Amino acid sequence: MKNTIGLAIFCVVLFVLLLVQSFIPPIRFLEGARLLLVPALFCYAALTLPYPAMLAAALVTGFLCDVAYVHVVGGQVEIAVGWSIIYFVILGSIASGFRPEMSRGRWWPVIPLSIVGTSCFLLLQFVMISVRREGFFFSPETAWRILVPGLLAGPFAMLVHFVVSFFNQLFWPRVTQRHSAAARSY
Amino acid sequence: MNKWNIGLIAVVVGIALFLSTRPAAQVQDMQAGFLSLLSPFFRTGTAVQEQLGSVGAGLKTLDQLEKENVTLLEENRVLLTTNNLLREIEGENNQLRQALAYRERSVFKLLPARIIARDASTWWNTVTINRGFADGIETDQPVLTEIGLVGKTTTVGKNETKVLLLTDETCRVGARIEGTKEQGIVSGIRVQSQRSTGELHLNFLTKNAPVEPSQKVYSAGVANGVFPSGILIGTVVEFRPRALDGQAVLEPAVDLSKIEDVFVILGAK
Repeated sequence: MKNTIGLAIFCVVLFVLLLVQSFIPPIRFLEGARLLLVPALFCYAALTLPYPAMLAAALVTGFLCDVAYVHVVGGQVEIAVGWSIIYFVILGSIASGFRPEMSRGRWWPVIPLSIVGTSCFLLLQFVMISVRREGFFFSPETAWRILVPGLLAGPFAMLVHFVVSFFNQLFWPRVTQRHSAAARSY
Repeated sequence: MNKWNIGLIAVVVGIALFLSTRPAAQVQDMQAGFLSLLSPFFRTGTAVQEQLGSVGAGLKTLDQLEKENVTLLEENRVLLTTNNLLREIEGENNQLRQALAYRERSVFKLLPARIIARDASTWWNTVTINRGFADGIETDQPVLTEIGLVGKTTTVGKNETKVLLLTDETCRVGARIEGTKEQGIVSGIRVQSQRSTGELHLNFLTKNAPVEPSQKVYSAGVANGVFPSGILIGTVVEFRPRALDGQAVLEPAVDLSKIEDVFVILGAK
């Protein structure tokens, strides 16, 4: 039941984040890099939800990301819809490996996973676009736009963790205390 | 990993592969549906942003407002008169063109629209406007402002449309340079530097083209193309001779990072 509620909350927050991202302008002094919050949120969900629920989250996240940003010009889709689903399944499967750490109260894996997950998502998009447009070039601006969102995703994932922990403490205090005790004894 | 999880992975990957084989029209329908879902939130968000932005700007004295009103009324009268004169000249021009057996110059119907969202993606330059197929918009219609060209429509929803900006690498426009016979293709670059207002490249010019900085570049109006001729695209900043051809670097006429209101050309009146 708790997992179903968690998945439902994840879907709502994901939708809100997709909206919020549209109103955040690019960061001019960081070569126009943008804040990309969705992969960080997904990483946190993948670390906390059981595997089947993580797969459902990957399906929803990938589909919404693709539909929101798909680029159709001249009757051709630049990056096929569905690739993000596969990406999030792979990222989620890697994150699931750190779930035992998370259940012991060690939340640190969410930071490197969010950083790497966000930057890899952008890098793969860039590579696919380059292949599609038959021309590959890599400028300093490109590097900034791939790395900065990743670095910003780390603190965001930490914030998500603290917010979720706060609500967890509020609604399931006994479960949270059991987790904390397990973390201390570990 | 148990069999149940492997089965679930197969199902999810199957759905992803099924989606990846969908034709562009179906993908655009999906995107249009998603845009319609987000549209009310975009509109509310834009309205809130405007309200917040107008708090400082709205603080004007009555004297200032009165002066501004007088100036605007005067400007309006001048524009109305000029418009009437131009309409007469247009009619006369069309009569003369008919007499010379030229095709009558078509006048385009402009639909005003407002930008309600900017694309949050890193690699593509698009905006969303508050008009859709309910207002007569179709795919591949030119979008402009009173200053110059902005881009073209791509995915069209009921009350919202995605506009591909001129600064995107995939938006290509046939163009000519003022005062020369040089023609080429204008396109954006993949990763725009944020230090400038956007950069455009005019490719396939003659290697030794007589191109000077500050020359204006207009759309050429290719047969069966999207963009009509004579719309200002930008100004030449630099000319680079290359091995086989020449390339001009342009500054867009419209600052695409700041525009809020645009017009969509719906077709001949």
